[in-house]
Amino acid sequence: MNSKHIVLAIMGLLVFTACSKILEEQPRSIYEPKFFQTEKGVQGGITSLYAHLRYIYGQAYYYNSCITGTDEATWGQQADGNFKDADLSGVGILNANTSRSDVLWNNAFYNINTASGIIEYAAEVGISDALIAEARFFRAFDYFLLVQTFGGVPLDLGAGELTFNTNAVRYSVRNTVPEVYTKAIFPDLLTAISDLPDQGRVTGGVTKTLARLILAKAYLTYGWWLENPNNIPTYPVTDRVDPDGHDAAWYFQQAYDVATTAIDNPGSFGLQPTFYDLNRGDNDRNNECLLYADHTESSEFYNASSLTYAGGGGADNFAVWMLTWNYPNIRSSELPTEWKPVSSVQREAAQWGGRPWVRMAPPIEVFTNTFADKTNDSRYDGTFTTVYRGNWPKAFTPPASAPETYYNAHFMPVKPGEPILSFLDEDPATPINYSNNPYNSNVGAGVLPGRADFVVSPSGINRGLYPGLWKLGVYRTDNGSGLGQPNAASTRPFVVAKFSELYFIAAEAAVKGATTTAGKSARDLINVIRARAGKWKWSNAAEAPKEEDHSAEMVAATPTTITINYILAERSREYYGEGYRWFDLVRTQKWNELAGTFHIGGVNLDDHTPQAFTRTIEPYHYLRPIPQTSQLDFMDMTEQEKAAYQNPGYQ
Amino acid sequence: MNALFQQKGWQRRQLPIQYALLPAIALVLTILFTLPAWAQNTIRIQGKVTDEGGNPVPGASISVKGQSIGTNADNQGNFAITAPNNAILIISAVTFTPQEVSVNNRQSITIQLVAGNKMETEVIVVGYGTQRKEAVTGSVVSISGEKMRDVPAPNISQALQGRLPGVEISQTSTKPGSNMQIRIRGTRSLSADNNPLVVLDGIPFPGSLADINPNDIKSIEILKDASATAIYGSRGANGVILITTDKGAKGRKARIAYNGYVGVQTVFAKYPMMNGPEYVALRNAAGIYNTPGLDEDESISTDWQDLFYRDGLLTDHSISLSGGTETGSYNFGAGYYKSQAVIPTQQYTRYSLRGSIDQQVGKYVRLGFTTNNNYNLSEGNQVGVGGVLGLSPIINPYNPDGSLKRTVRGTMDESFVLTREAVEKLGDLWINETRGFATYNALFGELKVPGVEGLKYRVNLGLDFIQNNGGNFTGEGVNSVNPTTVSTAGISNAQTYHWTLENILSYDRTFAHKHTLNVVGLYSAEQNKYNRSSMSAKDIPAENFQFYNLGHAVDEKVIDPDGQSYQLWGLQSWMGRVMYSFDNRYMLSVTVRSDGSSRLAPGHKWHTYPAISAGWNIANESFMQNVSFINNLKLRAGYGQTSNQAVNTYATLGLLSTRPYNFGPDEYAVGYYVTELPNAGLGWEYSKTVNLGLDFALLNNRLSGTVEYYVTNTHDILLREGLPATSGVSSTMKNIGETRNRGVELNLNGIILNNVNGWTWEAGLNFYANRNEIVALSSGQSQDVGNAWFVGHNINAIYDFKKIGLWQDHDPYLNILEGPGGTVGMIKVKYNGDYNPDGSPTRQIGSDDREVMDVDPDFQGGFNTRVTYKGFDLSLVAMFRSGGILISNLHGPAGYINKLTGRGNNLKVDYWTPENTGAKYPNPAGPLSNDNPKYASTLAYFNGSFLKMRTISLGYDFSRSVIKNSNMKMRMYFTVQNPFVLFSPFHKESGLDPETNSYGDENVAAGGYQRRLLTVGYNTPSTRNYVLGVNLNF
Repeated sequence: MNSKHIVLAIMGLLVFTACSKILEEQPRSIYEPKFFQTEKGVQGGITSLYAHLRYIYGQAYYYNSCITGTDEATWGQQADGNFKDADLSGVGILNANTSRSDVLWNNAFYNINTASGIIEYAAEVGISDALIAEARFFRAFDYFLLVQTFGGVPLDLGAGELTFNTNAVRYSVRNTVPEVYTKAIFPDLLTAISDLPDQGRVTGGVTKTLARLILAKAYLTYGWWLENPNNIPTYPVTDRVDPDGHDAAWYFQQAYDVATTAIDNPGSFGLQPTFYDLNRGDNDRNNECLLYADHTESSEFYNASSLTYAGGGGADNFAVWMLTWNYPNIRSSELPTEWKPVSSVQREAAQWGGRPWVRMAPPIEVFTNTFADKTNDSRYDGTFTTVYRGNWPKAFTPPASAPETYYNAHFMPVKPGEPILSFLDEDPATPINYSNNPYNSNVGAGVLPGRADFVVSPSGINRGLYPGLWKLGVYRTDNGSGLGQPNAASTRPFVVAKFSELYFIAAEAAVKGATTTAGKSARDLINVIRARAGKWKWSNAAEAPKEEDHSAEMVAATPTTITINYILAERSREYYGEGYRWFDLVRTQKWNELAGTFHIGGVNLDDHTPQAFTRTIEPYHYLRPIPQTSQLDFMDMTEQEKAAYQNPGYQ
Repeated sequence: MNALFQQKGWQRRQLPIQYALLPAIALVLTILFTLPAWAQNTIRIQGKVTDEGGNPVPGASISVKGQSIGTNADNQGNFAITAPNNAILIISAVTFTPQEVSVNNRQSITIQLVAGNKMETEVIVVGYGTQRKEAVTGSVVSISGEKMRDVPAPNISQALQGRLPGVEISQTSTKPGSNMQIRIRGTRSLSADNNPLVVLDGIPFPGSLADINPNDIKSIEILKDASATAIYGSRGANGVILITTDKGAKGRKARIAYNGYVGVQTVFAKYPMMNGPEYVALRNAAGIYNTPGLDEDESISTDWQDLFYRDGLLTDHSISLSGGTETGSYNFGAGYYKSQAVIPTQQYTRYSLRGSIDQQVGKYVRLGFTTNNNYNLSEGNQVGVGGVLGLSPIINPYNPDGSLKRTVRGTMDESFVLTREAVEKLGDLWINETRGFATYNALFGELKVPGVEGLKYRVNLGLDFIQNNGGNFTGEGVNSVNPTTVSTAGISNAQTYHWTLENILSYDRTFAHKHTLNVVGLYSAEQNKYNRSSMSAKDIPAENFQFYNLGHAVDEKVIDPDGQSYQLWGLQSWMGRVMYSFDNRYMLSVTVRSDGSSRLAPGHKWHTYPAISAGWNIANESFMQNVSFINNLKLRAGYGQTSNQAVNTYATLGLLSTRPYNFGPDEYAVGYYVTELPNAGLGWEYSKTVNLGLDFALLNNRLSGTVEYYVTNTHDILLREGLPATSGVSSTMKNIGETRNRGVELNLNGIILNNVNGWTWEAGLNFYANRNEIVALSSGQSQDVGNAWFVGHNINAIYDFKKIGLWQDHDPYLNILEGPGGTVGMIKVKYNGDYNPDGSPTRQIGSDDREVMDVDPDFQGGFNTRVTYKGFDLSLVAMFRSGGILISNLHGPAGYINKLTGRGNNLKVDYWTPENTGAKYPNPAGPLSNDNPKYASTLAYFNGSFLKMRTISLGYDFSRSVIKNSNMKMRMYFTVQNPFVLFSPFHKESGLDPETNSYGDENVAAGGYQRRLLTVGYNTPSTRNYVLGVNLNF
């Protein structure tokens, strides 16, 4: 009995061993923000600055906001509101809920805050100036994107201007455009240029050359803003006066000087020998690429996107799907006498193919105006997939068991690798028979006498049938003998900045009046680009080597006087479908002039009659709306204050 | 304990437990012939138990004091028992006062029992003790295990759904083994946990209710108001569910109970998808995806659901052995439950094992131990119906040779073919399983302090361990369009370690026959540690490895930081409670509790709060003695505070999120950035509740019930506040805001016929209405659109456009309200803007036209009824809700099966065409928003009303006729679960079960709602079950 009491007494004692220690907390699987104040934390912070590029570049809805509605693209057959609203062509409304520039808004401020944290804490933990300069670069880079897209944006996130925010504030005050440039973008980039290395710390790391490119572009853009030739309004309302006391001409000159300095001191960077080399998938991360949102096919985890099936979101690089038409619906015939449809061009994870979403489509003018020269200028062939070739054996296991021959137009035999459907360079003299009877392409393409392949002429392009975007096409090394993983997002880096743009910036600054140096007039600079465009190595259309040099013809065709419109046309040839266009047209205030009208066929694949479309591009459209759901809805401000926060025209 | 096992009869009653698993009839016969005879130096006593009027009391329990001998009276009140000739018999029966009778060598005894007031005799479990129901002053609702099992269900929460007023139990998933969401008197917290505290046999329960075998339950008590829950302090804010498992009873002979059923589950309703011709018509109407895919043929109509579903088997066996001696009692049990879903390979299996011992040691000490263990296995949850629904019905799934195609190609998409045949054939190549093991143990020691009558010291020690192991493997090319997609495998392991230590000093005494005093003092400490790790790998070289050796994987092996977790939290508490009752007329209960939580910020960790309640038993007043039709009348009032610490661990500290990245193709790094800011001021959220209640029993106790009214105001709500993008940080945790829940509850039980010509008819009704409202948000804001919180509205609110029809020809202002993209046949939503003098709207439809819509129902409840006649019993259990919004992610944009574009199959809905302008759904050729019709979200809202018959059971009690052995009871029953649904507009349109089956963000293709909103999505289909079962006691 006594022993029982002892047991109880011991149990009772247990009680008082439980001390207040159990009320203390020590996380062991998550990082507290304090970790940011350690050396490893700061380094991790810098990595996240790079990683954030993926959530903007390659994000298809943001991509759409940079292209749809310009002269490079309109909405495609399978477009939803995201694309129709952006097109401003009378099929939707662009407002605070529908604008997809929210992608930028929602990702940039995290990054700006992280960069500010790094800059603040780096000194305490002994991080080198070169590393801090990476953070400065990204803070300036994001502010530059924001100021171009939305006008003035807040420099104070809650804890003071350009300070790491530790306050949970639910209000916001926008700075003016000149404040953003002169307080944030220019000082950060100037420091970055002096502290950054010539060669990146890591593959794809930021460099002096990159910082110069962005600074030159920022100077150029700010110069245009000060000049404001077409009287486009800004917001928040402010005088077009530079706080630092300079005028537009001064900034154009700075742009020219910084850009040409970068050209003269290229470090490890330069131009690729041909446009084809620049864009071929097996030559990614080449020396012309200054910055990219990187991806990899060797690690799903670090790629942060499925290597087999992507939903289209997050870190997915799925921009190219938008301008890819539904080519796998092409049919050939299994029999030479009766049309028995078979799939001859299958969805393949290859640069010419990939996954079709058909959300965007190029207007016919892209093929008749922008890329009018398809012979000398290699950039048409290096931008588009114009010939779709038979790849059916890749769908068979083993491929050898596949039929050797299918039958196509006029029941002519076609073999794997041969053209099944071609987009013609010019409208042919003989009218194309688009009847699809009896040779039913299933995609509305036509036939020409004597040709085994289905054909579509430039004027026959419609919203569902157009050359694909080879340039951004996927590239994988793990397809084996099959079709690969066409439903994964692209594992190629999405290129953000290229060395070639230095030439365009310097040339544009020169056109705007900058004093040029010898051998670097606007025409000289543009001709560097055009001469390179004349160099051929390979033809995608023929899928064969093409060692030809048409540099001389290209240079000869350059006009004596370079105008802004010419630079813009040349920029579109160089950067078509890469997301530059909206910024270019907004900077130069040429959006309405160059993209106000266009032609394209309808949504039905068999509709080959070009229709004219008009866009309603108002001056207020030159700024995108502040997002409703991620910004305005979360602010503790009155409706009037929120309305005042919004850009005019979108309240 | 040795004494226990040396009881006479024990060793001779070696009942092979496996018999319990044989068919019930065989078991009965076996037992009948093997029942031992008592070989004692005793006499045999014949007896009869009657009530005051001489009517027999069937089923009365007769036991011999101080021994493990006992029996039950038969239906005529007769019994026979063999006992020592000087024994004392204890006779008890429900609703009667127990009586002791000395045998005195008599061989024939008639015992007349005196009816006790039900309230007087009934004892219910309250926190840290029991209380006579008569003396309860807080809001407590109670249900016996037996009654609960009228609904045969694998999970207590399913069995209780719709049966207790104020306890809203909602389905969150239809997968087998799923848990339900329980809300007691509504939702009060915005983002903190709203789940009630579960206390199993006195110890806070850290596990899942699915871990408890309903067959082991003796009773469940739910504490609803603050005066009742205050003793559980911070953990009681959301109500407390006290679960008491079966114990042996002192002085009762050993008994075996077996409960089992087998059944089949069938699909309640297929998702209403289009057939071939309907789909072709839609595609043509939409005009986007009308280029036929390779495997499509417009002459075909394939019902992919028919090719997919199966009938699932349900099996449940449960057996227990219980008994007691004069100084102790024991109960052991084992259970097996298996449920096969209607989706191929999906199933849930649970094995449970439990035991409890309670032993008096000497005069002053009592020791006890309870253990509840289970092992469960969930399989096949990776197989879903979502992809199947979207498959084009004009696809032919078969090759010309009759074999199933591996993949099929529609107009845009190629899909891996998922049919029953295909999934079953994959077998070991596509597996996903979770193996759970949990053990919940409670030890107690109790010491009656010698010399002070009524003073006891008790120590409770709870030791729990929960483990979940997950494993998945997808073979090469499985569920993938590309046959060479590499195999993937993953494992996860999670452990919970939980201990609770409670020291309770209690004093319980009645003075001068009139003053009853109960005082409890408590100090407790509790700590819970959770640790999860997981990893995954690609390309397992030998498929037979499955997930058992990821080390062999050839391709990438990943330990994702987001898949790892460590959480440790602790809670310390002091509590004191005084319950005083005077003359059974006036009752008072006062509680003070103080809690310290590790989860809150230093300096804000402790909170102290009081609760007080009082009761007046009017029926016991002298002036009521002549009012014979009132048997009980009690008025109760209470006020109290409780608090809620249920924020996540480390929520005060802020958070860095991670971003993996690659520099070049094979140089990797992980980035960090701040997503949540620290809050060093994070403190307790607390609720103040006022509760008024009236208990009554009328007409000789034939009509009894409770009416209650309550108001709960919750302050300093713990809230993860979303921040505008410009803050550079996504959120922070704060104490802000205020909510209110007000409600009335009614519970009625009646005996309509009491053995009239053998007919007995009982019925019960519960009804409750809760008004939930956000009273204040941060910094005086009236709305927080980002989080969908609006002052004056339900926490469960939707902010969206309101559909008022479809645009028709000649409707004015289409061009103004919808702008250039507007077309006839598109959804017409309500415009809330201004008008020009000419009556035209001033602007286009925009975000300002969204409206707040409350989701919660107006009222809900349930009813049950039971008719018995000569051994037959028929019972019905139903639940209902009225009003509110049912959110169907199937019909809205998130499900991607009502896109109306013809890309993939569509719900069979009545859509607008120029020839069918009266349709409910819009023109497929109208404007799109993402992949759905513009304003498609408005299509997701249905009136939430429904009445659902949950079970209809017909049983027969064999003890009344077939089995002559009065020690044995056997009942067989046949039950139909979910037989039908009435009064549901959603069901009427779609044929589907209107009960929710998903959290807001689950079972959708893209988008969805706040997780807190329960929705109907494309989860495993609801089932209608047919069950045959047996209950056996001997």
